[in-house]
Amino acid sequence: MSALLRIEGLAVSYGSVPAVDGVDLEIEPGELRVILGANGAGKTTIIKTIMGLLKPRRGAIRFDGEHDLLRLRPDQIHQLGIAWVPEGRQLWNTMTVLDNLRMGAFEVPDKTTINTRIGEMFERFPRLAERRHQLAGSLSGGEQQMVAIARALVSSPRLLLMDEPSLGLAPIVMREVFTLAQDINRLGIAVLMVEQNARQSLKVAHFAYLLEHGHVVEAGLATDIAGKKSVQDVFLGGSA
Amino acid sequence: MDLFLQQLSNGMVIGSTYAVVAVGFALAFTVLRVIQFAHPDVFMIGMFSGMMAAGFVPGGGLAVALIGGAVGSTAIGAVIERTVVAPLRGRDVLTTLIATLGVSVILQNGMAAVVGPDPIPYPRLLPSRFYEIGPLVLTLRQMFCLGLCAVLLALASFYVRGTHIGRATRAIAERPDVAAAFGVNVGQVCRITFWLASTMAGLAAVAVGTLYGSASAFVGLLYGLKAFVCMLVAGNRYFEAVIVVAFALGILEALVTGYVSSSLRDAVAFFVLIGVLYLRPDGLFGSYAT
Repeated sequence: MSALLRIEGLAVSYGSVPAVDGVDLEIEPGELRVILGANGAGKTTIIKTIMGLLKPRRGAIRFDGEHDLLRLRPDQIHQLGIAWVPEGRQLWNTMTVLDNLRMGAFEVPDKTTINTRIGEMFERFPRLAERRHQLAGSLSGGEQQMVAIARALVSSPRLLLMDEPSLGLAPIVMREVFTLAQDINRLGIAVLMVEQNARQSLKVAHFAYLLEHGHVVEAGLATDIAGKKSVQDVFLGGSA
Repeated sequence: MDLFLQQLSNGMVIGSTYAVVAVGFALAFTVLRVIQFAHPDVFMIGMFSGMMAAGFVPGGGLAVALIGGAVGSTAIGAVIERTVVAPLRGRDVLTTLIATLGVSVILQNGMAAVVGPDPIPYPRLLPSRFYEIGPLVLTLRQMFCLGLCAVLLALASFYVRGTHIGRATRAIAERPDVAAAFGVNVGQVCRITFWLASTMAGLAAVAVGTLYGSASAFVGLLYGLKAFVCMLVAGNRYFEAVIVVAFALGILEALVTGYVSSSLRDAVAFFVLIGVLYLRPDGLFGSYAT
């Protein structure tokens, strides 16, 4: 099967400081893959580079075999069917929940389609429907994460990038988010997730990468990775 | 009491013109992250291009001047966007500040080289007529100026709040990266916003030229400083805040002129600025966290 997204030899630096150095990674249609790593391992850098927000020093990123993402602007990348749930949600706090969702479908020209999809999101997240006219910044952390996920889904993406979706959430809400990622994936949407919570994310993922200091040090089936000692080290934060 | 009401209405007229320029400033700053120091000179270009248009088309009058003002200011705004602002987008605020300041100097002195450094009379596009409304006396020119600016401000507010692209401008203002990643062509939205701000400035400039009966290559200097103050005092969290502050400043200036001294008038803005920044550094109505 051909990869939906293929990253080869990716190297990204902030000034002269390398954040990601020679990363190879891919995801097939309908898969859920997770990139595990501690703070500063380069996880968010990879996601932002896929999204076109950072320019790499070297490497290639291809989507669907034919699109060279490095030649595209972020808005063009989004239009190919890649949606982003950013680290820390990054909602438009001064906009209502409804306007946040509308912005998620910004390039969809047809109003009926937008409204149908937003309606579907409100069915899935009834709490957001209740709060549709509230400012996004006034919601709780868990609710904000729902908005961030719903905002990414209204564009009907083929690939969903989730950057630490469990960050800063209460344990019960956290589990909800991982189940949600699994549900989304079962709808046929490929999910590439970046996480520090290895235990939870390995339960839902098919395949996992372990990232340390900008390098992939382990890659394999989630069930295999879960048993590795190096992963246990990352759990404890003692891999340096 | 009559003096108070009279100065209040005079202040509203002046305030409305500050508001149009300040809104243009604020749009450029919040959406493009650019301190567009040449914006007041875009206004000045609109004033002169409106005057020229009225001169070229005999009997054209106000309508032709407005079209001329809008075309002139939009054209110069588009050139500035294309040649200076767009290539520097994403750079440090200081870089674009210096660049647009340079453009401002070029425009002011360029125009002064053509029309001379002193104010020249503006064509009389409206008859000098006045109306008594209760205790108030307003000239037709004042009423036109206030009316036009109010319409422009309402349209600008509608653009930002009610339109698809306007929503994107707010999204860019708060989180440019996220907006781009959700399908907003940031460069294009910035361009459209810049053009609109320039068009508004040119239209208002014709009304201001008509109001004062004169035009000067350096009219932008004072307008620019006051509009800049309005933007800082308002903060950038709410688009309409700058409009409120601009009206308040116009009224305050008129009251100071009426009750204290007209020579203190131009200092008022800076007293207000210092006071507000001392007490509320994010502006009266708050700013986006940076």
